[in-house]
Amino acid sequence: MDFNLSEEQKDVQKAARDFAQGEFDPDLALELDRNGAFPESIWKKACQLGFIGLHYPEEFGGQGLGFFENLLVVESFCRVESGIGSALSMVDLGSEILLKYGSQEQKKKFLSPLAKGEKRLCTAFAESEDGRDLSSILTVAEKKGDEYFLRGKKPFVLMAPLADAFVTLCRESSDGVSTFLVEREKEEINIHPIEKMGLRMIPYGDLHLKEVSIPLDHRIGKGDDGMIHAYQYFRVNGLRSAAQALGTAQGAFDRAMQHAKQREQFGKKLSQFQVIRHKLADMAVSLEGARWLTYKAALDYDRRMNDPESLLLAQLEVGRCLTCVVDEGIQIFGGYGYIAETAIEHYFRDAWAIGVELGTEEEQKDAIAEGILGSDSSKK
Amino acid sequence: MFYELNDQQKEFRKRVRDIYEREVSPLVEEYERKETFPVQLFRIFGAEHLLCLRCPKEYGGPGLDKISECISMEELNRICVGIGAGIMVQGGLATDPILHFGSEELKQAYLTPAVRGEKIGAFALTEPDAGSDAAGIRTTAVKHGEGYRINGSKTYITNGTICDFMTVAAYTNPSKRGTGTNLFVVERNDPGFSVAKKLEKLGNHSSDTAELAFDDCDVPRWRMIGEQEGGGLEQLEETLKSGRITYGARSTGVAQAAFEAILSYVKKNQRHGEPLKRSQAIRFVLAELAMSIEVMRYTTYRGAYLFDQGLATMKDASIVKLFCTDSLQKIVQKAMALQKSAGLMMENPVQRYLRDARLFKFTEGTSEIQHLVIARELGL
Repeated sequence: MDFNLSEEQKDVQKAARDFAQGEFDPDLALELDRNGAFPESIWKKACQLGFIGLHYPEEFGGQGLGFFENLLVVESFCRVESGIGSALSMVDLGSEILLKYGSQEQKKKFLSPLAKGEKRLCTAFAESEDGRDLSSILTVAEKKGDEYFLRGKKPFVLMAPLADAFVTLCRESSDGVSTFLVEREKEEINIHPIEKMGLRMIPYGDLHLKEVSIPLDHRIGKGDDGMIHAYQYFRVNGLRSAAQALGTAQGAFDRAMQHAKQREQFGKKLSQFQVIRHKLADMAVSLEGARWLTYKAALDYDRRMNDPESLLLAQLEVGRCLTCVVDEGIQIFGGYGYIAETAIEHYFRDAWAIGVELGTEEEQKDAIAEGILGSDSSKK
Repeated sequence: MFYELNDQQKEFRKRVRDIYEREVSPLVEEYERKETFPVQLFRIFGAEHLLCLRCPKEYGGPGLDKISECISMEELNRICVGIGAGIMVQGGLATDPILHFGSEELKQAYLTPAVRGEKIGAFALTEPDAGSDAAGIRTTAVKHGEGYRINGSKTYITNGTICDFMTVAAYTNPSKRGTGTNLFVVERNDPGFSVAKKLEKLGNHSSDTAELAFDDCDVPRWRMIGEQEGGGLEQLEETLKSGRITYGARSTGVAQAAFEAILSYVKKNQRHGEPLKRSQAIRFVLAELAMSIEVMRYTTYRGAYLFDQGLATMKDASIVKLFCTDSLQKIVQKAMALQKSAGLMMENPVQRYLRDARLFKFTEGTSEIQHLVIARELGL
């Protein structure tokens, strides 16, 4: 076993960190967060330098690297700035479905512009406010002549107001759901912005499909295979969210540590108080555990190991790590942690928004238990 | 032993709940968004005798006990923490030292108008470099002509931009660390006083929080609280003790609001086709939250009872604050996590409870300070 990054991976990590430290201006981050604005120019720059889609094949604008390398980028970005880092990580939601199940033409048309920074993609799956609940999909895709007509509502779609195209699930027959690529046409897609507490640079919207017509070749796969595609998305989204969580927790830790070394009370640095030192020690342990679980899950994915268990363990652990580390981090800041212009206040809000993407603790444990006990084990 | 509220206290709870629901609930969303305090409430609450509840009748107050104050604070914070903050300061740190140590002249000039809601009070102790370490303040009040000349800066001051007067802690003798301090009443129109800036915060948006500057601010001698120089911080002991018990009530109020929200969410919602209330894990979570609130409430009212009997030690008060503010975090965190993305929306009050509650572990003695106090009183 080798727990070290390869030279190439170290280079990717360093390049991402250097880019983030150079470009993610803290004042700009505050302003974007306050206004709920997307970091447009930083996104374009990140694309020019190849940070977006570096795990795509070269023919579609990527560098042919693994998802693990992409994860290193996401982690490094969020470590420097949770808001901007997350925004740049969430511009190609659904690309993993195209990469695995899309046709050559679909990949060419939809993936390449993502890597170039010309377009953004997002997924619109669930039809309740819970993004993971696919138990009742009512949106319909009706074939008429050489087009599909889509109608239905998809609430709480992450990135919807900024996306140029959507990967969506619709009922095509009574047998199941299929996956479709919908290009945005403003007059046909109603988008309602919804204000939220964290990750404010990444907006939510309600997608309302009113008889939206799309060509037949915009269906991904053979039809009725939407759940398989959704599963692929959730797996990769789990990895991406874990990487965001890890970077955000690490960023909170960095900030808390720096504050503890500078701030003096009672004639001593905070970092000289035993209880503060122990808090930092606990945070470091939690981060290290979450990091290796997350890295293992990403490596398993790149090695085509169809073992989702490592990801489930990683998601649960990194979620706990995120909540604890950010909360202790803000506590170390004391009253300063509560003020918007300090470096950690938005980490608290962003952490909760990232945590949502990881799923609830109860859901994670249900899935882990099913994995270790067997899928029928909860039935009588 | 004290187990239950008496009929009069129960009646009082009903009365304040009605008033707060009628007068405060409709304002919350607007003032949270505007990030200002609805100052009209001071007049309304003044007329209802709900400001400075423990102030005796001779100065216009209702002369109620600590238990009643906790009831009022629990009910107000159940509706809005930010608004609760401004009202708490009025009846606590801003006026308590005047009530206990101030001259008749000071009481007539500030306490009586504060009780009526004609004047808004603030309390200024914390400084950029002196938070937990209150004795580390650098503001000075030097004898000058007939009065004192105050220089220094204060931060995180609740009601800072809206107050008519503030109770300010400053060193009259900086060579006596801790003991060489006095409290002064400064008026907002006093020359040399200015609001340096209003602070943007993680939560408590409807509470007004500011950084204040005192630049050769001259105050007459009669506005010093107490006869002699020195002992200002000691004058705060009883008020801080009382305040820490109030934090039990504030925590219980927010916890109750978050609990009601999550209970109704769990009762109404399904996930993956199953009602949430059928999940054994979620039933356990709600059982534990219910248990926490019971214990929080009991601990708080026991503390208030001891305070009314003159038996409460600082340890008792710190235990109330530490236990209740910590327990509260678990409740609001769980209420957030269970609602997933729905919890993040600004229109959902649960995210507000989470942001607001986080303050309680910093303000009026951080959790770490409460540990130190308890340990010290254990004779360690």
